[in-house]
Amino acid sequence: MHSPMRALALAFCLVGSAFAADKSYTVAVIPKGTTHEFWKSIHAGAVKAEQELAAKGTKVRLFWKGPLREDDRDQQIQVVENFTARKVSGIVLAPLDSQALVAPVGSAVQSGIPTVVIDSDLKSDKQISFVATDNFKGGQMAGDHLAKLLGGKGNVILLRYQVGSASTEAREAGFLDALSKHAGIKVISSDQHAGATRETAYQASQNLLNRFGKDVNGIFAANETSTIAMTKALRDIGQAGGKVKMLGFDSGTQSVLDLKNGDVQGLVVQDPLKMGYLGVMTVVQHLNGEKVEKRIDTGVTLVTKDNMNDPAVADLLAPPIKKYLKE
Amino acid sequence: MSRLTRLLQASGPFLGLLLVCGLFALTEEREFIFTGGNFKNILTQTVIVAVGALGMTLIIVGGGIDLSVGSVVAFTSVLGAKLLVAGWSPAGTLLTLVAVGAGIGLFNGTIVAGLRMMPFIVTLGMMGVVRGAAKWLGENQTINAPPESPVHRLMARVNPSEFWPLPWGVWIVLGLAAIMALVLRRTVFGRYVFAIGANETAARYSGVRVGLVKGGTYALAGMLFGLAGLLQLARLTQGDPTVAVGLELDIIAAVVIGGASLNGGVGSIGGSLIGALIMALLRNGTNQLGWQTYTQEIIIGVVIVLAVGLDKWRQARAQR
Repeated sequence: MHSPMRALALAFCLVGSAFAADKSYTVAVIPKGTTHEFWKSIHAGAVKAEQELAAKGTKVRLFWKGPLREDDRDQQIQVVENFTARKVSGIVLAPLDSQALVAPVGSAVQSGIPTVVIDSDLKSDKQISFVATDNFKGGQMAGDHLAKLLGGKGNVILLRYQVGSASTEAREAGFLDALSKHAGIKVISSDQHAGATRETAYQASQNLLNRFGKDVNGIFAANETSTIAMTKALRDIGQAGGKVKMLGFDSGTQSVLDLKNGDVQGLVVQDPLKMGYLGVMTVVQHLNGEKVEKRIDTGVTLVTKDNMNDPAVADLLAPPIKKYLKE
Repeated sequence: MSRLTRLLQASGPFLGLLLVCGLFALTEEREFIFTGGNFKNILTQTVIVAVGALGMTLIIVGGGIDLSVGSVVAFTSVLGAKLLVAGWSPAGTLLTLVAVGAGIGLFNGTIVAGLRMMPFIVTLGMMGVVRGAAKWLGENQTINAPPESPVHRLMARVNPSEFWPLPWGVWIVLGLAAIMALVLRRTVFGRYVFAIGANETAARYSGVRVGLVKGGTYALAGMLFGLAGLLQLARLTQGDPTVAVGLELDIIAAVVIGGASLNGGVGSIGGSLIGALIMALLRNGTNQLGWQTYTQEIIIGVVIVLAVGLDKWRQARAQR
């Protein structure tokens, strides 16, 4: 605990901010939505950073605020604008769209509010850092594992998440990239989108399985809700339990249960807690005048039934949210 | 209606706005909420709902409803982005979007008037048709408009921490509001809209060409919805087929908070604008207070019911 503290103190001296000891900041953390468990982990990570910083004498007041309507770009723009007017010290943002959020982030930076982008990239050079999973690599991991499970041949469905979401599109591209190396694998559907909610994802899954259920050997779904929904749809038609190999992305209570029961053969998981944690830490480091990396990778892990009980993996599957969030 | 009662009717929403301002003034966050830069924020965030509310007021006063607004906004925003990408001029794009909006409105109005169908059902159907068409047109993708297009300046906030200059969109709303208020209050067409909304049969027997006026109402409102699509495009710098889902409900709420009656025959442009402003202010203020998103939704819901309830109560008292 001591050496990072000393490093921090040293950094303060170097930039010459004498009033650093009683620094207090307000940081707005703006997710894409608030109902997915993924975002709760990000929230927990942000709170973890808040607690650690408080222990070091830097008071951070966190605002945790998603768009009023989940996945509504205009509403997220409003949240960014409102916190810009609120003159928070820094913003940590998971942009719903790589272009639509460029202008509001520009305004925030113009108003002197440094912004760290997490989770999904932004087509801008105004953000001080991009803290996220390497989603392309995650998609490749899923593709390679699925190819291995299928023995290099079979029919595969890719259920996409939503248009314009950079993170999931990178996963989808990575998945298709990995499969393109296997001549025996045919992608029979890759143009359907699950949409924002479990309900829309469930409908899309049912429709896909109605059409391709007899031919399909392996499926990849690019996010938490679509993984859960597709697994449920597979169970409905009696193809779950490994008859059709199911790979998903992200972990939630239900998808971990599905993995344990053998309905899901693998989950590529990110470390959202780390993402929220590093997002807040990075913006505070910048505020303290330290230099921060432009790109910070938070890592991906392939979780299967075999390694799901390793302590490190277990923490990824069930992030210790309760430890940080009282709700 | 006497001038005094009309004034009272218009002042109700305004008192509501003052009340909300007053409540936020009691909080610690007032130093952030009551700043020029933030009011520019609130006004900018009101623009799209406000333009929609101008058209919706006309329709609701005429005893109708239009649920297809959100879809029309999405469709025209995608179309606009495609036209800009294809190298069209901003003026040509604007005229096209306004014309397309008018076309959809005219279609709605013709079916409502010609087939004597419930506007709720007709526009509910249209909501799906146009939403689907938007996704089709955009091939399920968001269409990024050229980032340097002058269209984006309509909604761009230059100098975000100062009140001036206001984005063009705000001035457009004020200008159009003045025009629409004149149309509604001072023209024969406007009087006919009120007459039809108050009592369609009576209006028909008095010689009002109900079908023509209804078609005109939906078409005129449609022009505004097409314009709202261009403003949405300017705000997102892209045409997004999934944008503005549920926008129609925000717009209807603004009009109703502004004192209009869904039974028709009652409503004002100024009231609707203030209704839109109240909702944007509530959203903005609760944001900055750091309140949970669900509290915002609950509060806005309560405000809608409260506003209409108060209005009823006031009317009942006025009649006594």
